[in-house]
Amino acid sequence: MRDVYVAGIGITTFTRLEYPLVEIASYASMMALKDAGITEVDQVYVANMGAARLNHQTALASAVTDSLSLLPAGAAAIENGPASGAAAIKAGFQAVASGMDDVVLVAGVERMREVNNLEATDFVATLTHPLAEYIYGVTLPALAAMFARLYMDKYGVTERHLAMVGVKNQNAALNNEWAHLQQAITLEGILDSPEAMTNNPYVADPLRFFDACPVSDGGAAIILVSKEKAQELGRPMIRLSGIGQATDTHAVFEREEPTDLLAVRKAAHDAYQMSGLSPEEIDVAELHDAFTILEIAQSEEVGFFPKGEGHIALEKGETALGGKIPINVGGGLKGRGHPVGATGVAQAWEIVTQLRGDGGKRQVEGARTGLTLNFGGFGNNVVCLTFVRED
Amino acid sequence: MAREIYAYKSRVDGTLHYPMKMISRGNRDHDFFEFDPVPLPKTGKLLTFTTVYNLPAQYEVATLGLGIVELENGMRMLGQIEIDDPQIGMAVKGTVKVVRRETYDDYYGMVFTAA
Repeated sequence: MRDVYVAGIGITTFTRLEYPLVEIASYASMMALKDAGITEVDQVYVANMGAARLNHQTALASAVTDSLSLLPAGAAAIENGPASGAAAIKAGFQAVASGMDDVVLVAGVERMREVNNLEATDFVATLTHPLAEYIYGVTLPALAAMFARLYMDKYGVTERHLAMVGVKNQNAALNNEWAHLQQAITLEGILDSPEAMTNNPYVADPLRFFDACPVSDGGAAIILVSKEKAQELGRPMIRLSGIGQATDTHAVFEREEPTDLLAVRKAAHDAYQMSGLSPEEIDVAELHDAFTILEIAQSEEVGFFPKGEGHIALEKGETALGGKIPINVGGGLKGRGHPVGATGVAQAWEIVTQLRGDGGKRQVEGARTGLTLNFGGFGNNVVCLTFVRED
Repeated sequence: MAREIYAYKSRVDGTLHYPMKMISRGNRDHDFFEFDPVPLPKTGKLLTFTTVYNLPAQYEVATLGLGIVELENGMRMLGQIEIDDPQIGMAVKGTVKVVRRETYDDYYGMVFTAA
């Protein structure tokens, strides 16, 4: 198997975008192509979850490849729920590592704000089990809320811990010009003040408005290449060193221990094993904080902290910029936004930015290794990636 | 006759599944449709719950109670809950009712109340 490197990265602003879906994907891709200094690719993968349903667009990868005049490159769209982005990166890795392709463009894109909030909520809920979950009116916030309640009951996590994650990540987004949310929040404003319930109402108790990521449009892209090609291009040598992917039960209630995220644990384990890294050796991480409770739980499952102690590490500032393991320094899904198909690629974009030392105010000093965790379904399809700077 | 929600028991290894699987968790050497339907119990205890304030399309109500229940046979299921002050661990009982209405279809599921 050949080593695979990231030669280029690109991203659009995550917000409400008034551009067609193909243009959003193409814009991020153009940035990645220019960053790498290439005009030809062998293969294009486009990660997306809802184009057919939300945007009346099918065969997305063909459209993006044509828009970028990359013909006759191979092209395929990859739909894997909210883990589409990292799943597409895995496909790109396999193409280069196998020797089948030398240069692969992986783009992730979503345009969710084309429909109203009710439709967007319903669209995301279609990833739940159709007969055992969806028919009951379950939503992703509802699943996260029931998970959070169990976590609170078992480990002593409180609404304050959840709000602390929200404040940390939304305020981190202020240092990321591409992030959706550009407004500072405080614990006073969203939890402690008499106006907190008005500012921050419950969406599914115990989760409140600021415990959830925003619904965003946006695109991100990376270029994966062989070692020879990476050396030829002369960009920083960032190797995609580890990949783990695992699944769990479709219906969340079937899990033997409902507070365990076994697919996260397995995906991270396999990525560490492939890369030869341990959790202690990761300098910066992007976790899938679609809901604040998930950052706490995932920080434990990927091995940064013992089970049940993620909220204690949060209290100590260990997950903030300057802490033991900075998590979501670019805002995470909570602050950067969560255009579902783009998220896994945007996480890789952030880690590569960090490993290049281009993070500006959010730069993790001396970062040489990074990890992304892309969490599909409610933990039923998870992809973990590790990256290492080699030069 | 009272409506039921069914689990599916493997004829190969006896494992009960809810929701249905095509191949048993207990033995992957399974042929097509080697399961028998078994009604789920209607009593159990509430494991966790939420009240949803931001509902998907098709629900014309202000809030919706949802919970995960551990049934008396140890299996678990998601259901709607109609309980004023839900608590983890409380005893509940279920009734099969319409839980979702769409233009041409009604969907039936379990609605739990305090036992």
